[in-house]
Parts: sequence; structure tokens; C-alpha cells
Amino acid sequence: MQKPHRFVIDRVAGYADEAAAYVRRRRLTRKPFARVYAEGGAGRSLAPEGEHGRALFLAAASLIDAAR
Amino acid sequence: MIQGNLAAFTAYMFQHMPDWRREGAQGAPPKEPPPQAAARAGTWFLSLSPEIRGFAILGPRGLLASSDETDEWLEPARALLAAADDAAGGFASHAHVATEEGEAYAVRHAGLAIVAVTERFTLASLVLADMRAALRDLVAGAFQAQPEAA
Repeated sequence: MQKPHRFVIDRVAGYADEAAAYVRRRRLTRKPFARVYAEGGAGRSLAPEGEHGRALFLAAASLIDAAR
Repeated sequence: MIQGNLAAFTAYMFQHMPDWRREGAQGAPPKEPPPQAAARAGTWFLSLSPEIRGFAILGPRGLLASSDETDEWLEPARALLAAADDAAGGFASHAHVATEEGEAYAVRHAGLAIVAVTERFTLASLVLADMRAALRDLVAGAFQAQPEAA
């Protein structure tokens, strides 16, 4: 049989893992991203730091401004 | 085995079905729809979700309709489409850019393009499907004014 204090530590560690995973997922989904798809269906993700990515983010930002 | 054959056969069938809505397909080239029809298509698209902030529909000659009925959308929409083409290394069929201020989408179909701005964390596949449906129905004439019955 598991000792009581071990059981409590395991539970707390489990909850901490869950919380860390939630924060990690939330940080990932909140990250800006850009995806473009060519006519054949091939998709490409672009980072904002790259040349094409920067142009896409700038264009998207001005479009979002136009929607205000 | 049956599924494999069915998949191969279905692809074969679709390869031999001309899509008249596609630009450059055989048959009559798609005509630019009237701005009123484009406005109706945009209004329909806008009504699908409260998370859509605005839209613009572009034809080969320029802006056909926008959610606020101004030309302010034209240049940003063209810039987004051009940037998407550059990033795709050719003709981009659709694009999705998510920023902290909102999300921008662009879809092309049959010589037309629709761009839209939504709130953050919208379901991208759903928004893109709705945008594509709006353009398809617009090209198919679903948003043309119906003659009033006598």
C-alpha cells in the first residue's frame, strides 16, 4: 500500500504537470502564425521573422486595421 | 481492397470532370459578377458568424464589395494576396494569418478573391470553407437578384 504522503505528492505533481501542459498549449496557440496554400494544395507555414512572413504579417495588419 | 479500388476510381472520375468554375477551364470563361451580387454574397458570409469583423470581395478589375462599402479594403486586400503569392512561390489558393489583433484570411476562386478579418481563435477550416462557399455561389449566380413574381 502506498504511503499517504507519497499519494499526496503524486497528486500534486500530477496537477502541476496538467497546469504546465495547459500553459504550454495556450502559449503555442497564442503565437502569431501565417500559412499559405498553393493551388495544388501544398501548404507552407511562415515565421514573422522571414522575408515572406514579414510581408504577410504587414499586409494582414493593414487589413485588420481596415476592418476597424 | 474494395476501398483502395474505390479511391483510385473516384480520383479517375474527378480527373475527367471539367470544373467550369475554375479559371482557365474549358468552356465559357467566368464572368465578373455584378457588385450587387457580390455585396449579397458578402452579407451572407458576414451573417454566418458574429466573429467575422469584415470582408472584401475582389474581381479582376478591382473591388466588388466590402463590408463597410468603402474602397479602404482594396489596397490591403491586394497587398495580402500579393504577399501570399510571393510566399507560396506562385499562385496562392488561400492564406491564413493570425496576429494578436485578429486573423486575416484570403481565398481565391474562379478569378475572384475574398479576404476577411475575424476575431482571434476562429476555426480556420470553417471560415475558409464559408469563404469558398460564398465565392462558389457567387460565381454560380446564386446571389443574382431574383425577378419579382407578377
